[in-house]
Amino acid sequence: MALNIKSGSTMHWVLRALVSVALVVLVWRMVSGADPSSLGKYTEAMALAIAAISLNLLFGFNGQISIGHSTFAGISAFFLGYSMRFWDNKPFVSLIEACVLCFVIGLLIGLPALRLKGPYLALVTLAIAYVWPTVAAKFIDRKVTPVTGESALTKFRVNPPTWTGLKTTREDRALYLFWVALVLMAVCYVIVRNLRKSRAGRSLVAVRDNETAAAVMGVNLSRTKTLAFGISAAMAGVSGWLIAAKIGTVDENSFTILNSIKYILALILGGVATLTGPIVGAFAYYFADDYLKQHAPHWDWLPGIFGKGPIASFLLGVLVIAFVFIAPQGIVGLFRRIGRKIAVVQPEPIRPEPIAVEPTPSAELAFDGPLHQTIPQPIDEPNL
Amino acid sequence: MRDILQYVLDGLSIGSIYALVALGLVVVYRGTGHINFAQGEMALFATLVTWWLHDKGLPLLLAMVISAALAFVGGALIEVGLMRPAEKRSAFAPVVIAIGLFQALNSLSGLLFPKSGQGLPFPSLFPNKPDDFVKIFGASWRIERIGVLAVVLAITALLFVLFQKTKIGLAMRTVANNPASAKLVGVPTNKILMFSWALAAVIGSIGGALKAGIDTNVSIGSMFSVFLLASAAATLGGLDSPGGAVIGGLSLGVIESLVGNYPKNWPVSEWIGIETKRAVAFVIILVVLLLRPAGLFGSAKVERV
Repeated sequence: MALNIKSGSTMHWVLRALVSVALVVLVWRMVSGADPSSLGKYTEAMALAIAAISLNLLFGFNGQISIGHSTFAGISAFFLGYSMRFWDNKPFVSLIEACVLCFVIGLLIGLPALRLKGPYLALVTLAIAYVWPTVAAKFIDRKVTPVTGESALTKFRVNPPTWTGLKTTREDRALYLFWVALVLMAVCYVIVRNLRKSRAGRSLVAVRDNETAAAVMGVNLSRTKTLAFGISAAMAGVSGWLIAAKIGTVDENSFTILNSIKYILALILGGVATLTGPIVGAFAYYFADDYLKQHAPHWDWLPGIFGKGPIASFLLGVLVIAFVFIAPQGIVGLFRRIGRKIAVVQPEPIRPEPIAVEPTPSAELAFDGPLHQTIPQPIDEPNL
Repeated sequence: MRDILQYVLDGLSIGSIYALVALGLVVVYRGTGHINFAQGEMALFATLVTWWLHDKGLPLLLAMVISAALAFVGGALIEVGLMRPAEKRSAFAPVVIAIGLFQALNSLSGLLFPKSGQGLPFPSLFPNKPDDFVKIFGASWRIERIGVLAVVLAITALLFVLFQKTKIGLAMRTVANNPASAKLVGVPTNKILMFSWALAAVIGSIGGALKAGIDTNVSIGSMFSVFLLASAAATLGGLDSPGGAVIGGLSLGVIESLVGNYPKNWPVSEWIGIETKRAVAFVIILVVLLLRPAGLFGSAKVERV
């Protein structure tokens, strides 16, 4: 029998405190004594998480699929490099500018998206991701190479500001970027979380579940959908900015369709339409990939032909397929299912006299649709 | 004018390969409502098997037939072993499986055929020496290109007969139209879906071999762009319309070929070149989709509230 915890009760606060403490300890463990290369990996994983969060807002909560998010990341990455090298902008000024730029471009792409659905929208966004490298290559050819003589935007460094007390060494820069990534990820998480729990978020989900019904209920379809696209694009831009800041070099092949596919995988593996799913999924995907790349080529027990070549990539593919069967609702879905057997957090009823509904652990609950505001949800997101 | 005819023909033959792979996508889409992201890599794997059989001394045609038979079994196995159980688990499962399959098959090709990374020499099914062409209206039509086009049109015709004139085709159309109702009236939905996947794999294997023949080599990366353009072609024509896939593929090939040969002295030509031809093709598709959101020949879904 599962433990029943009322929302807002002391137990609930204890639970929240425990989760917060666990997270702080986790971050502390990540930072303390870590070398620049593993800090860099955390930074990249968090950049992936931000991209997955942005996709979750668009796809998970609004039902619009995009395979073009790598383009926004690419635009933003190029913007950082170009504005730092050619206009001597401060990195954070360029972050804000890049976000605004991505937001506007996202709105523009969101307009045709109004007419397209499902696979057709997927294809149009895929086309954008496909076209981006050619545009980027042209840009480098005409604007970058004549000045720098190099076929990529290189040698821009995001150095820690002096008030942090950090120097401009490799170690300190890695540490600084780690914290920047953490803050940016937290900001994106909070934005999506607050959106989800607000009127705007409810209209997003209503549009996802049934456009016609949402329109009948007074949701402004075109505004909701284009805004979702714009905000999501701006967040994808944050992810690209972070990657560019970490690597310090971008060229036309830095952000391709394969990056977009990675975002989608991270999101689905973590759990679509859950708040923490994209973050969990991004870390799981990034470090599974990283682990296999490092270790799989040295596994001697693998049969002959598997001993060499792209074995890591093969195993990752197999892992992804196997994962669908282990955790069809994503990692967060899996933990919810397990957690539900241990403890159930009951939200405060919206009506003064709640209808007696048993918390039913059904698969549908992973997609917290609009209905569930009147049904006590069996388990809550860890509210931080 | 003569040049344009030449470019159109070149475009038609490369477009016919997009059309073929697009047909594979449409066959699966009609049955399941999902784009099979692994279509290109399934074709790649089958093509490498063809290469291997041919390398072992079998004539190319026989190698292609055996490979197609293996692809048939492989496609059916993927549907039964992966897609069907995944379908029940979550709405996104088939997409993830397809992406995972894409990655696994691509790397498996690299593992089983270690030299395929650089590209393996692949023979053409048709004569392709430099002087194998016929002159029609002043344009030189290469026999190989005509051959590829003819094979694709023949397969399309066969598929048309299959869809429209046979019982299994009728069942496939029923499943495409409404899987639940089809099941209720006694159509063996599962078998039909299995057959759709097997058919898609076979179509892919033929398309892959033809593409490799035109390129005279096959490498790990070669099918990804074919998949992208084929999915573009299928979307352009309407994802649930086989005829649309063929017309979409052919017109995509022609657009690509014409844009790729855009005269250097015309306006904006410095922005248009070999490498931007696909970008232009995609922009045209975007415009078409804006005007017809379900593709040229696709049927718009009517939603029930």
